[in-house]
Amino acid sequence: MPVRLALLALFRHPARTLLALLGIAVSAALLLDMVMLASGMRENFKGFLMLRGYQLRVAPKGTLPFDSDATIDSATALVAAISKLQGVIAVSPVLGAQVQTTAAGDSNVTAFTLGVIPDVQGDYEMIRGRDLTDSSSVVANERWLEATGHKLGDTVTLAIGYDPQLRTTVGARRFVVQGVARFYYIAATQPTLGMLLPTMQAMGGGARRDRVSLVMVKAADGVDAEVVRERIAAVSARISAISLEGATEAVEQRLGYFKQLALVLGSISLAVGVLLVTTLITISVNERAGEIAVLRAIGVAKGSIVWQVVMEGIVLTSVGAISGIGIGLITAQWLERILSDFPGLPTTFHFFVFQPRDAGIALAMLAAAGMLAGIYPAWRAASLPIAGTLRREAVA
Amino acid sequence: MTAIVEVRDLARDYSMGSGAVHALRGVSFDVQDGEWVAIVGPSGCGKSTLLNLLGAVDTPDAGSLTIAGERIDRMRDTDATAFRLRRIGFVFQRFYLMPALSAAENVELPMAEAKVSREARRARVQELLGYVGLGARAGHRPSQLSGGEQQRVAIARALANRPALLLADEPTGELDAATGLEMIELFRRLNRDGTTIIVVTHDAQMAAAAGRRIQMRDGAIVSGDAP
Amino acid sequence: MTVQWIAGLVAVMSCAAVVHAQVIDSAPARSPVVRSVALDARLATDHGLTIGDTVRISAAPGDSLAERAVVTALLARRADPSEIARQEYRARLHLDQLQRLISYGDRVDRFAVQSRGDRERTTLLDAINASAFGFRAWPSAEIAVRTSRTFQVVRRFNSAIGVITIVASAAFLLCILLLKIDERRRDVAALRMMGISANTIVKSVVIEAGIIALLGSMAGVAFGLIVARLVNWHFQGVYRTTLAFTLVTPQTVLFACLLSVLLGVVAGWVAARRLVGQPALTLLGR
Repeated sequence: MPVRLALLALFRHPARTLLALLGIAVSAALLLDMVMLASGMRENFKGFLMLRGYQLRVAPKGTLPFDSDATIDSATALVAAISKLQGVIAVSPVLGAQVQTTAAGDSNVTAFTLGVIPDVQGDYEMIRGRDLTDSSSVVANERWLEATGHKLGDTVTLAIGYDPQLRTTVGARRFVVQGVARFYYIAATQPTLGMLLPTMQAMGGGARRDRVSLVMVKAADGVDAEVVRERIAAVSARISAISLEGATEAVEQRLGYFKQLALVLGSISLAVGVLLVTTLITISVNERAGEIAVLRAIGVAKGSIVWQVVMEGIVLTSVGAISGIGIGLITAQWLERILSDFPGLPTTFHFFVFQPRDAGIALAMLAAAGMLAGIYPAWRAASLPIAGTLRREAVA
Repeated sequence: MTAIVEVRDLARDYSMGSGAVHALRGVSFDVQDGEWVAIVGPSGCGKSTLLNLLGAVDTPDAGSLTIAGERIDRMRDTDATAFRLRRIGFVFQRFYLMPALSAAENVELPMAEAKVSREARRARVQELLGYVGLGARAGHRPSQLSGGEQQRVAIARALANRPALLLADEPTGELDAATGLEMIELFRRLNRDGTTIIVVTHDAQMAAAAGRRIQMRDGAIVSGDAP
Repeated sequence: MTVQWIAGLVAVMSCAAVVHAQVIDSAPARSPVVRSVALDARLATDHGLTIGDTVRISAAPGDSLAERAVVTALLARRADPSEIARQEYRARLHLDQLQRLISYGDRVDRFAVQSRGDRERTTLLDAINASAFGFRAWPSAEIAVRTSRTFQVVRRFNSAIGVITIVASAAFLLCILLLKIDERRRDVAALRMMGISANTIVKSVVIEAGIIALLGSMAGVAFGLIVARLVNWHFQGVYRTTLAFTLVTPQTVLFACLLSVLLGVVAGWVAARRLVGQPALTLLGR
């Protein structure tokens, strides 16, 4: 009976109830988006790093991968030492550098290029064509093809530097564009190439001989990655070994602005939702003071009346919150499109990741808020003196 | 006959601005089981205040009030509420039916609160609506019923939990003369069937139909306090 | 002599590198030439450094080729949302010292060129781009635009949040005003029964709703100003930055007030018209 009375009370004024539901739905949507933003980045980034199963990264001391142009020297020895460590099943060294190519009309296109070992690389997936096979092959992303006007199968000249005194390129070589790839960790708007690591090192001359920017390490299943990380860190004082957790934490710190923003906005939308429900219930209850007094007069307990009014609040916020999930998913896509414009953001990274748990959290918070919002006005109304209220309502 | 209502020196004051208004001044009377008592008097004489105290919706400032063997004046709010649910039936001048519920659901309301089973509730609703002549209107909302029909539903609701005492505050106040007469006839039938009734009324015909009249003036009983 | 290792300085002046700094609290001068260095103010705060302290800088911890430098300035972190949360420290060294320390040779990452005037700048840009291979010259203004993309993204994000908040607030405002005006149904009924015209009632309700909305929005602005201060105080403390996280400008105040008054007037009109459209006795519940 209390549920039925609660529902009937809500439907008595459909326009008002619908507006309240709309307000709560939008609040719920914003709350869901903020919960997704606060927790999604972390989960997404973890998944993002684990795309090819490499749990650990090794970078120059004190940096994160590709944070700077710093490189690690004696790469061959380092890779060999890491490969011998207990628990390591794969090691992928990577060298990154800017490479120049001549495009149509004699303009230059600067591409960010990764030198990799194809068998163990964890930086890209092939979309079409063939992977790297020899020192004259490159793979490119769509953006590079667009920027240079080249296509699959073309022969191109790539240079790694420029000597202004001799006014000539340094390390220029001819390559065949053998395949088109999608680079996981690089923005889609950045022209990008991949070539064999030794080729890249050779092109750089002395500056890049036996150097790498990053080493990715895969630990065996069942092995504690943190233990492997410690073993790697002990190999050399010039490197930092970064685990999944460490990398996630570092990125979270950098994107901490958004997490804080999410917390602030989420709290505000929850507070506003509570305020609306409280106001609505209070006014609704005041309008029905006479009815409530009659219910009390015929023997309905105070608790039953409070429960009925609280049910109204719960129904209102629950229905609004469920509608808000749909709206929240749509607005999350809109916000994601805005944030994906961040310079240098990898294509596979997402800010908003929907997890059913997030929806559950948002719903639960709003339902609890709805319940709390109804308690005080309900208690006040049920505690009004019966005789006085009936007299007042009769006079009115 | 046993006294189902015992009122001794009941007093009730209200503070109004600078002074107090003595709505009831030491009222004493008994009502026997199965009696039909009408409380009459001019406006402001304390009739409704007395009815509210009898219905445990208000608390006296002095005196004692016993209904069906229980001291009402000393009850806590939760006990008074439970008492009203099971032992008192209230009929109001303005009916006060729940507008969103049907006639049957309005009658069912006190039984649902008293945790009566659904089957028992349904049976009792049918019985009561039949008794008041509205068996065919069970599914109608109050807005679809006339004033007299609404009052009949209100009476059926008041009888739902088989109360020891039926209290009615100006039950014909909102009804036309013909409907008022029908209401009086219904009350007569109720009383004949054993219901103890106390009615506050301005209606001379309602007062005349009752077995006893208690006349009040300025918060005190002037006549009729003894059966 | 107390020695502290500080790892992770990032030099930003003219090339990116990782160097390490060893702080020497009081060190006798070994080399006659001790260069100056500007350190991140956070680093100074975190490790108790001040201007005048001598530090030893190297490319790797314990490197024998470390050089000494005197702290002559402290650097404040740029107020950029994408940078404020970064933990690494920054420093500025003399170019040749940094090149030497990280074995960079005679190389830099970029040049800054100052021209005599706008016309000369354009000629200069064309000349550099025509002769260069492997690098490009950009006007500083264009660099500023490109590097401000983070600000633009954040601005658009915040605007989107603002739009969503406005939609929610609009629904709330309409709902609550409808409720408040609906509460007055008996008053409206009495006025109609007295012979007051529907138009008069609608006008008075609309004016009242507008005033409530205006007063409410002014209270909201005051509240917003307080919250903005609190937010800035909190986040500037957390991130040790001068970045203003939230800003209440005259434009936003005007926009908020105008929008809320408009919504209030619309809600008032809708509610009033609903009420005056019903018969007076119905409003009285008869």
